[in-house]
Amino acid sequence: MWTTIFVSGISLGSFYVLIALGFALIFGVTRNFNLAHGELLVLAGYSAYWLWKAWAFPFVLTFPFAILVILLICLGLQRLFSRLRDPIELNSIVLSFGIAILIQNSMLFCFSGNYRLIRIPILSQGFRIPGFYVSYGQLTLFFLSLIILGILYVLMYRTYLGKALRATIQDKEAAALAGINVAAMGTLAFCIGAVLIGLAGPLYGCIHYLYPSTGHEATLVAITITIFAGVGRLGGIILAGWILGLAESFTVVLCGASWREMVSAVLLLTLLAFRPHGILGKGEE
Amino acid sequence: MIQSTSTKTFQYDAKRRVTVDRAGLFLGFLLLLTLPLMVQSNGYILQVFTHALLLASLALAWNLLGVSGSISLGHAAFFGVGAYGSALLSLEQGLSPWLTIPIAGLFATGLGLMVGLICLRLRGAYFALATLAFVEIPRVITGNWDALTRGSLGLVGISGLPTLRMGDWHVDFGSSITASYYLVFVYSLVLLGLVTFVFRSNMGLALQAIREEEIAAEAVGIHVNRYRLSSLLMSAFFTGISGACYAHLVRYIEPGLVYGLHFSAIPMIFAICGGRFTILGPAVAALVLYPVDQFIFHPLLPAGHEFLYGAVLILTVLFMPNGFWWRLRNA
Repeated sequence: MWTTIFVSGISLGSFYVLIALGFALIFGVTRNFNLAHGELLVLAGYSAYWLWKAWAFPFVLTFPFAILVILLICLGLQRLFSRLRDPIELNSIVLSFGIAILIQNSMLFCFSGNYRLIRIPILSQGFRIPGFYVSYGQLTLFFLSLIILGILYVLMYRTYLGKALRATIQDKEAAALAGINVAAMGTLAFCIGAVLIGLAGPLYGCIHYLYPSTGHEATLVAITITIFAGVGRLGGIILAGWILGLAESFTVVLCGASWREMVSAVLLLTLLAFRPHGILGKGEE
Repeated sequence: MIQSTSTKTFQYDAKRRVTVDRAGLFLGFLLLLTLPLMVQSNGYILQVFTHALLLASLALAWNLLGVSGSISLGHAAFFGVGAYGSALLSLEQGLSPWLTIPIAGLFATGLGLMVGLICLRLRGAYFALATLAFVEIPRVITGNWDALTRGSLGLVGISGLPTLRMGDWHVDFGSSITASYYLVFVYSLVLLGLVTFVFRSNMGLALQAIREEEIAAEAVGIHVNRYRLSSLLMSAFFTGISGACYAHLVRYIEPGLVYGLHFSAIPMIFAICGGRFTILGPAVAALVLYPVDQFIFHPLLPAGHEFLYGAVLILTVLFMPNGFWWRLRNA
């Protein structure tokens, strides 16, 4: 039984990694906390659901559409965020909180409050390896998160563009002095973040029920993982995602499903109380 | 410590400002006082304004903390504990709401102490994120503690506010909408008076100094953490009282409702839109925005009418960061 819990925890954690990557990247480069992250995710899920249900699109083909929708919205949001005055972190929280309410109510208007699920039968099938059971959905999440992390790793650590992005994450002023177009890096971060949200959103619709106010939980997960990992550390993100996923699946088994919602909040508060700048991150300021 | 003479020069430098304040206060007071007479036939309007006044009290209480520069995204925790505390005490112990409402305020203060211990060393954005996460804890515990709170089903049949008797004269707060309107009105006025007193006292000055430049404030001898904690505790106490009033007015609560994002967002939105640095701003915003939402947007868009709050918040942050009331006074 414990191996099954472990497998489901790792797959849940991989999914959380997918959710958190976009948030962490946008925060790292632009220092904007985007509390509308979860709402964007749910919106991507809804747009995939709409294509899949109303137009009978194959599920795989809904991803490009979801990415496009989120990309357009994120480019608009980036214009709003770039107008913020100091203190940027705090103001971005207030601004994105407003955006989250706006998106939530638009979704309520467009899709109503009913629970929706993208049913892909094959994802819930699986096979039994001696000792435990793995579903194709869990495998997909695990490998997809690894593949996306790999691509991001190559982008960040093997290309000139990635170097510029990392420089911006480390020190905005110094990066600007070295001739890096910091504003363009911010736009780029929002674009990559949007692609990541567009990839995670339809998957979210397969795993969770979609309803307008469910995004809040995903936002909290993304914040927890980002703070846990510290700014700009891909390895930290996957570690944090897996720890959170494992903690949640063990909580579900040991205490009951209704206690799960508290796990990420408790983890975040513990982190903030002891290491306000992340477990792996160095102290700042 | 800052002397009271500096209070005078700091607060009363512009006479016009005081005049605007007093004129607005008096006009608003008159309008709200005579509202039941003006809308006699319409209970719905009175109910909306009762709720608006309750939200105004929430925004005022939020701003007791907000004036120190901290933005809380988790006041629903205090609201929910106040609502549940008072409702359970009156349901299970049969105590009168007049007694349970202040006790519920103390419960919320206790929770505020916990928040303070965990979050007060955090600043700015991290404080906001911590409060956002903190709400989940009382919400999940309330939802799971079936034996005490009846879990996620919520509480029904909470007693209404009881009748107040003095000899032959009596007011029935439970069934008369007008009476409960005046009760919430008086409560908001008392809270407004208290906020005014706090803002103009040494404590208010200290909190404003902390907001502007914490290190400098500490350097002139202000106990930063002591002042931040006391403003948090006061804010929690009155948010709890408002939550308790809500429970006895609406007479039905459930964890998802009273600990929901709505009651965290609403006081923050009203306070920021009205003006975090003003005394009246948050209350004015509540009394303007909530009726606009209920009378104009709700009939137009039954699903999703709350987008108004999101839009107003975005516009405020981008174009009027100090809020409209501050802008009016300093135009």
